[in-house]
Order: sequence, then C-alpha cells, then structure tokens
Amino acid sequence: MTVIANWTTASRNMLKDILSLDTWLPETMPEYAQGFMYMLGSLTASSFVVLVISGIVLAANGPASWSYNPADRFVAAIHFWGVQAFFFFMMLHLWRVFFTGAWRGGRRETWLLGSLAFLIAIPTAFTGYLINGDFYSQWNAVQAKDGLNALGLAWVNLPNAGQMFGMHVVVLPLTLGALIFGHIARVRLKGVVPPYPLSSPHSAPKKEVPEP
Amino acid sequence: MKYPHPSDMVTEYTYVPEDFMKHLITTLAIVMGLVLLLAILFGVPEKAPLTIRQDAREHPVAFEAMTTRDLNGQGRIASYGPPYNHGTGNLESAVQKWVGILHPLNAKQDFILKPLNMAATVNPSFIPALHRFDRASSAQQIAWANRYEAALNHATVQAGRVIVPPGHYGPVQTLMNDMLHLGESGLLSGALIRNPKVVTRFDNQNYVLFLEGQPLHNAAAPLQLKGTQWGIIHSAVPGYPGAWWMTIPTWIYQWPFVANSPANDAIALSLGFVVWCLLAAMPWIPGLNRLPWFLGVYKLVWKDFYRHHASMEDSHEKS
Repeated sequence: MTVIANWTTASRNMLKDILSLDTWLPETMPEYAQGFMYMLGSLTASSFVVLVISGIVLAANGPASWSYNPADRFVAAIHFWGVQAFFFFMMLHLWRVFFTGAWRGGRRETWLLGSLAFLIAIPTAFTGYLINGDFYSQWNAVQAKDGLNALGLAWVNLPNAGQMFGMHVVVLPLTLGALIFGHIARVRLKGVVPPYPLSSPHSAPKKEVPEP
Repeated sequence: MKYPHPSDMVTEYTYVPEDFMKHLITTLAIVMGLVLLLAILFGVPEKAPLTIRQDAREHPVAFEAMTTRDLNGQGRIASYGPPYNHGTGNLESAVQKWVGILHPLNAKQDFILKPLNMAATVNPSFIPALHRFDRASSAQQIAWANRYEAALNHATVQAGRVIVPPGHYGPVQTLMNDMLHLGESGLLSGALIRNPKVVTRFDNQNYVLFLEGQPLHNAAAPLQLKGTQWGIIHSAVPGYPGAWWMTIPTWIYQWPFVANSPANDAIALSLGFVVWCLLAAMPWIPGLNRLPWFLGVYKLVWKDFYRHHASMEDSHEKS
C-alpha cells in the first residue's frame, strides 16, 4: 500500500492537469468537434456568465428595485432573457450530447454532472421567478409549496421571499456554478467524445472495449 | 446489424488548429447580443400582483367568505396541515406529517384576530365584538362562523357593506365587516408580516398565504396559470415564454390518475424526478446507453467527418 507522505506533493499531482493551460486553453481540437453543434455547450456557459453578471448588478441594488427602477428593470430584462437563452442552449446541447452518445469512453460522470446541472438549474430559475414580486411570483409560491411540503421539503419555504432571495442569489447559483465547472473541467480533461464507428468494412465496431 | 459496445469509438482522427479563446469570446458575444436585443425589444414580463386591498375592494363578499373560513377552520390554510398546523386538508404524504410544523400558522389568530386586535387600538369600535368572540367557546365560535359563511351565499353589497339576511351570527358578522374594512384600507398586509423581533420584513409568508384559495385561483384562471391549464409553463403575461423546461412535469400533472389524486403534487414531482433519474443514469442502463447508436442521428452530426474519412480510405485503396 502506498503511503502519501506529503499532502502537498499529492495535491500537486492531483491538480497538475486541472490547473494546466493545456487543459483550459487548447490550441487544437479533434477534427470531428467542429461547427455549430460544438458551440452549444459554450453558448450555455456564456448564458450562465451573462446571468451571473446581470444577477450581481440586480443583487447589488437590492431586492424589488427591478420592479420600479427603469435601469434595474432593463437589467432584469437581460436577466430574464438570459435564463431563456441558458435553457434554450442547454436543451440543444443536451440533444446533441444524447444523440452522439457522449458518455462513451469514460465520460459517464461528465454526463451525470451535466444532468445534475440541469436539475439544479430548475430551482435556480424558479426561485428567481419567486423573488420577482409580481403575480407570477405570488401564484407560483402558493402553488408550488404543496409539492415540496408533500415531499418533506417544507424547510424550503417558497412563500418566504427572504429565504428565496438567499437561495436564488447564493445557494443555488453557487451549486449550479460548481456543477457547471465540474462538467466543463471533465470535458476538457477527457476531451470531446469521438464518433461512433460506422458499420462498414473499413471501420466495423470493435467488440469488447473495456470501459475506462 | 452489429450491436456496439457502449464505449465504441473511432480511434483514427486528427487534431486541427483551434483558437479556443476566440471561440469562447464569440459565444459570449452571441449570447450578449441576443439577450440585449430581446431585452430592448420586449423588456421583462411583469403582471401586477393581487393585493389584499384590491381583493377586498373588488370582491367583498368572497373576501368575507374567505376570512370566515379562517375562523371556522375550513379555509385552505386553516385546514392545511404540516408545515403550518395540525390540519389534514392538504396532507399528501406520511413524510409531510413526519417533517412536522416548521412554519407555524394559526389562521384564526394570525390572519384574523391578531390583525383585528391591532386595528382595535386605533378603532375601539372593534373591541366589543372581539371580546364577545374571545369569551365564547370554540364550538360556539365555529357555529357562529358556519352560519355566517352560509348566509354569505345570500349576501348583497350596499354602499360598500356586505349585507346578509338576519341570523344568529353572534359577533362574527361585525368581525368580518371589520376585516373587510381592514382589508380595504391596505393596512392588513403590514399586520400579517409583523415581527417584533426584527425590523426587516424578509419573511412575507403570511401575506402571501392569506389569499390562497379562491382569490388567487380566480385571478390565475384567465391567465391560464392553473395546474390543469398547463399553468407551470405559461407566462403571466401572454406572448412571453414561461418555464417551458418544465413541460414534462407539467404534462405529468395532466395525467388523470395524477390530476385526480389528493396527492397530485407529490406524485407529479416524484414522477418528474424519476424521469430525470432515467436521464442521469442513461449511460449505466444497458440498452438505453446504446440508444443513440440505434437512432443514428450521430451520422448527421458527424456527416463531414464520415464523408472525409470515407473519401480518404477510398483514395488509399485506389493508390
């Protein structure tokens, strides 16, 4: 059994790939990973960046200001359409990675992290709707609480705008950001999944390739 | 047709030059341009909330019926159950009961009597009815409220006052008229979210829950926001996109056995979660993890790659 004598050495070994410029700023890409289909993940991540920037501006000005301050209202509009763009591009990205079996070759955990990001994105967006303060907030806080209460999640008190503000501004975006980071880090470390072999005499599917 | 191993991949491919930073900046610019354009053109959808004051002024009889149900324990929140109280009206599962009362809310006290007692300090005419109600037994209070709730079915509104046929309502008729006045004044919202321990008002739970039931449902129905109207995915402002990514759970809500179940919320959310679990676990599920290969859409995605390699192999054979 190997004994890790030096925690710093072990950390350096673990982190050397994830902190590498080669990982994050590649100068080459596989020939098959070209075109619009391979922009969808970046478009989703870019939407998240827009959401974080516009969200910081809104949070800095305080809750509800977006409903009566014209400048904040415009930032809220950017935030709103940013959410739509985020889900739109994420859904297209999901279809692309599904149809290309992107979990092959040791990329199953990458898929799982992406799925988790999708799951967490839903309450992240929803809590944003809840703190908007309009009728949509009012109606959905009252309606959606029944499902959470029934599932034993009453601690998440949807009609409590203060708790929802904390959830939307800190808890959920940090969780979502961590999941997105983990997802992208794995994509960069593992590379983009290569194509399926075509069933032709030139490239017949190999039989038992061990799962890495 | 050969069945591929889940990790079957081509191994012969090349790397081509890529300006990754340019790629990232381009996608960011595309999204920023897109959302700026949409924000300039369409702004942000906001439907004005339904206030207690507005509801009291526009629907005085229904308002009094709602507050009367808070007194006799028949109201949506008064009878709800955990996490607010010991009712059973919205008790959907054992786990809901097990979690218990996390956000205590006594509709009779918190929605009606405490606000009226506060209002009585500035309008002492409220006091006699409050004292008479307090001195009565619980059964008597409920009996008065039940009779008044029934009488409201025959109510009329004259000069802004709710008039019911004469009956044995005890002080409830006066109390409910007082509640209507308090609601119409706009002061009730402040009374509902008071908290002497802090000056902040982050927790607006009681204000939001006060109008649960008929008032909110009546306001939501024309906007197609109710659950049976696929409301989750609709915007409150027509023409704007809603939470369309919730289409599958919303669809599940429409299934008759879900829609007609008293535990419809628990079932719909649970089934939605099962769908997500299938999605998340797809790489580990035999058969499903080969589905993309069977569907063959990947041939379109990598059309250029396959064509390029096929032509290369053809040229190799010819040479």
